[in-house]
Amino acid sequence: MALLLRLLQALALLLFVGAATAEHTSNWAVLVSTSRFWFNYRHLANVLSLYRTVKRLGIPDSQIILMLPDDMACNPRNAFPGTVYSNADRAVDLYGDNIEVDYRGYEVTVENFIRLLTDRLDEDVPRSKRLGSDAGSNVLVYMTGHGGDQFLKFQDAEEIGAWDLADAFGQMWEKKRYHELLFMIDTCQANTMYTHFYSPNIVATGSSELDQSSYSHHADNDVGVAVIDRWTYYVLEFLETQVTSANSKLTLGDLFDSYDMSKIHSQPGVRWDLFPGGEQEGRLRTVVDFFGNVQNVEIENANSTDPGSLKEDLAEIARLVEKWRKRDEEYSAIIGNSSQSQGEDTHSSTVQLKSKKPVGPTKMAEDSSWGKRLVGLSVVGACTAVWVAGSILGQSA
Amino acid sequence: MALKSAIRNLRENPQLLFVRLPNILSFLCVVVGVVWLLLLPLNDYSRQTYISENALLPGQVHAYFTGSEQNIFRGYKKELQALIQEGRENGPQNPEVESTPAITNKIYSILQAAGLKVATQKYEYTSAGIGYQGENVYGIIHAPRGDATEAIVLVAAWKTADDELNLNGVTLALTLARYFKRWSLWSKDIIFVFPPDSKTGTQAWIDAYHDLHPASVQPLPLKSGALQGALVIEYPFENHFHTLHIVYDGVNGQLPNLDLFNTAVAIAGGQMGIGANLQEMWQHDDSYRDRLKTILRGMTKQGLGYATGAHSSFMPYHIDAITLQPKGEGWEDEMALGRTIESLCRSLNNLLEHLHQSFFFYLLMQSNRFVSIGTYLPSAMLIAGNFTIMAIALWMRTGYYSDSKPSVPAGSEGPKSKSEKQSDSVVQKDVAETKTVGSAVAERVLALPLSLVSGLHLLGLVPLWTFNTIFHQYFTAATYIFVVVDIVLPLILAALLSNGLGIARPIVPQQYLLIKSFALLLLGLSLSTLATLNFSLSFMIGLLCAPLSFITRIQGPAAVRYPISILGLALLNLLSPPAVLIGICWYTGVPIETVLTQAAFGWDVWGMWTQVVVWCVWWPAWLIGCVLLGSSMF
Repeated sequence: MALLLRLLQALALLLFVGAATAEHTSNWAVLVSTSRFWFNYRHLANVLSLYRTVKRLGIPDSQIILMLPDDMACNPRNAFPGTVYSNADRAVDLYGDNIEVDYRGYEVTVENFIRLLTDRLDEDVPRSKRLGSDAGSNVLVYMTGHGGDQFLKFQDAEEIGAWDLADAFGQMWEKKRYHELLFMIDTCQANTMYTHFYSPNIVATGSSELDQSSYSHHADNDVGVAVIDRWTYYVLEFLETQVTSANSKLTLGDLFDSYDMSKIHSQPGVRWDLFPGGEQEGRLRTVVDFFGNVQNVEIENANSTDPGSLKEDLAEIARLVEKWRKRDEEYSAIIGNSSQSQGEDTHSSTVQLKSKKPVGPTKMAEDSSWGKRLVGLSVVGACTAVWVAGSILGQSA
Repeated sequence: MALKSAIRNLRENPQLLFVRLPNILSFLCVVVGVVWLLLLPLNDYSRQTYISENALLPGQVHAYFTGSEQNIFRGYKKELQALIQEGRENGPQNPEVESTPAITNKIYSILQAAGLKVATQKYEYTSAGIGYQGENVYGIIHAPRGDATEAIVLVAAWKTADDELNLNGVTLALTLARYFKRWSLWSKDIIFVFPPDSKTGTQAWIDAYHDLHPASVQPLPLKSGALQGALVIEYPFENHFHTLHIVYDGVNGQLPNLDLFNTAVAIAGGQMGIGANLQEMWQHDDSYRDRLKTILRGMTKQGLGYATGAHSSFMPYHIDAITLQPKGEGWEDEMALGRTIESLCRSLNNLLEHLHQSFFFYLLMQSNRFVSIGTYLPSAMLIAGNFTIMAIALWMRTGYYSDSKPSVPAGSEGPKSKSEKQSDSVVQKDVAETKTVGSAVAERVLALPLSLVSGLHLLGLVPLWTFNTIFHQYFTAATYIFVVVDIVLPLILAALLSNGLGIARPIVPQQYLLIKSFALLLLGLSLSTLATLNFSLSFMIGLLCAPLSFITRIQGPAAVRYPISILGLALLNLLSPPAVLIGICWYTGVPIETVLTQAAFGWDVWGMWTQVVVWCVWWPAWLIGCVLLGSSMF
């Protein structure tokens, strides 16, 4: 009993230390393609590839917001109707059997995107179109499309600026809508998009620097268009070949170290400074912290963002441990009093417990073993007879 | 200070300001305009072509038109050859010369068997006393998953633009129709048109497609969506070919979007490994000489404004179209041409909106090099501007010079101009009385110059009507008659003007200047407007009219006037519209009748308006120049 209590104490101590590190309770992913039209096939394929990956690593559809401005699968130009591929080998149909597009076609607008992030949506907007993240949620935001210096074009008609995005994330933080946020963007001059972010706990990464283009990786000669962008291709290559399960221990540092400029043909960037602890801490976050769905137990009052709340809980546990120990002492004292006239140490309780007579295993009765064997034999015989009779009857019929 | 004194100097010297300076400026404009054009082929002034439209994605798809399709091709060809054989032996018409109903029926049935919706259209045109008739047959592949709002056109005429039998072209189009029908990835309908010839058939078809056809043309029973592009296939020989000749000039010098041309070059060269030529430049070493030659050939076609192939008829409807002509001896067969067309169709199929990203006004000098309108336009504009400068100078001069000696012979110029200079400087100083002095400010007599200039421009309608209406047999005679008219008419007009037309007092010298001013003003105005629409035509007419800026009524003793004016008139007559026509025909060896028949046909069927520019802009301006020169003899 005392051993158990010590263990509990140690656990409590560990939790005290652990309270400083990340502890998220849900994972959300917002995956956005911002361009429509057939020749932008690759942008939709980018997003669908990532969608497939986060689903594989455990984020359910209900926690993925997928924004697709065009329907490539049903485009009349598609030589393979109903499918979208992100590789010329066409091994994996990304559109497949199980896909849930939350915002499609002309619903993919800057306004809807910002309303989604900041939760400024009408009451009648269905749950599937809402980002239901809270202060315990790790959010992955992936965007791809055509962009430039500090803007990303939405559907040829409008664009989102770097400040718009920074303010949206700022509001998300104020409204306690994320715990930590990983922002990924694949577009030309992508790194300019996260320059203005100011809210904490954000790790941002992009495909190319200012005045650099992001390139497509390869084209499919039967589909007739480029099917995936370079940066996304190599991020996915890492995720698909290295992060093979939701228990993967690979970190964001590993992911970002896998960037190879000679393959990507542009200079990818990472921004750590908003993350508490900076690059050193950020690199330790596992990839599945954002791409997977790690469900941690929600302890009482977890909704409160007061950093002391968890501490209080742990202190309470420690008090309880102390209380049990006292009660145990009292109990052992009573036992000691009744069995032995002289009061002993509290340690005697263990002796006392040891002295208790253990319950031995009950011995199986060995009687009429031949009789049981006989019964078994006859049952097997009867079954065989039934089977033989049945097969003969079946043949004759 | 230097500038100020220069300006003052200029003001005090009207002879320099109104006579010499405009002459120098005008001359400079013409010279710079021509030099400008000659600079264009240089690397610094031209650009590499590039695809502007992202949607086109040329050459990104694999073309599968090979192997077994060749057997289909051979089969169709045998069927058509049998018909030709039969027609040659028995039929009233030889299908080698002209498409017959049997051919039309065969094409009809092949298309129908391939699963297309097929229809025919009969048409008839008459021009210069010649009748043209024929029957178009066409089939539509409806896009299996598309919405039938847009379409691509493939044309294979039975006779090519050069009047050769296009048997391989027609067979290839039939094979492609069958092949395309089996693909499910078309976003646009594909229309296969088989006109009997390249001149009339497509015109009748495209007019009827837009319900703008004349009564002699049948309406189309079957239509599709808005046409996004058209490709014309010509393959009038049996051997394998080496390169692809791309013809792109449209009626009235309209051009297809440069993206279409670039896509064809990119697919032929990049994907299929077939070189591309343009403007019949079979040997192009990318030298300055060859580049300039290509530009000039393109400008000639653009300036004349006639249809260079079946694709030209599409241009007025803003449908981008080109003709693909295999040329030379090589190892590329009809399947390679088929794959090129397949890939081109896939690119056009990718389009989301009408081709609009790239240039519509350009001069090509090589299959991958061009100049855009911003670079070449100043050339024609400067030449047109020279007329305007002269017209404005003349207008101002008529306001200043009231004396009867506006231009003084060289010998007696010195003292008179000096005295004028003095009187002028007095006027300048005496500000209050400037208006009233009168000796320097003249009242302009406008009635006669205005009515003469507008009357002569209206007179241009007579040759315009004549040359587009009379029977083709009389064209040669009419041209020579017109040469004579052009010699006599200016002299008669000059005599009438000088002798006061018998009703009013004789014309004053100021009015001669005003006549010239108005004529040049109209010319400059028309040509600078035209330069934006048809650069080449404006440039050519501008050059031919350039002498008109500098001719004037010659004064002085008869011994000087007569020889100079007669010589001048003779030279000017060499630059008259009919004389230029005869000269060109003599140089190229093409009969005048052919050229004029073609022109009349263009006017009647294609809606070509080169003649309007010739007879209502060039000819009146030329006539007035001759009248001015002629008036010095009376």
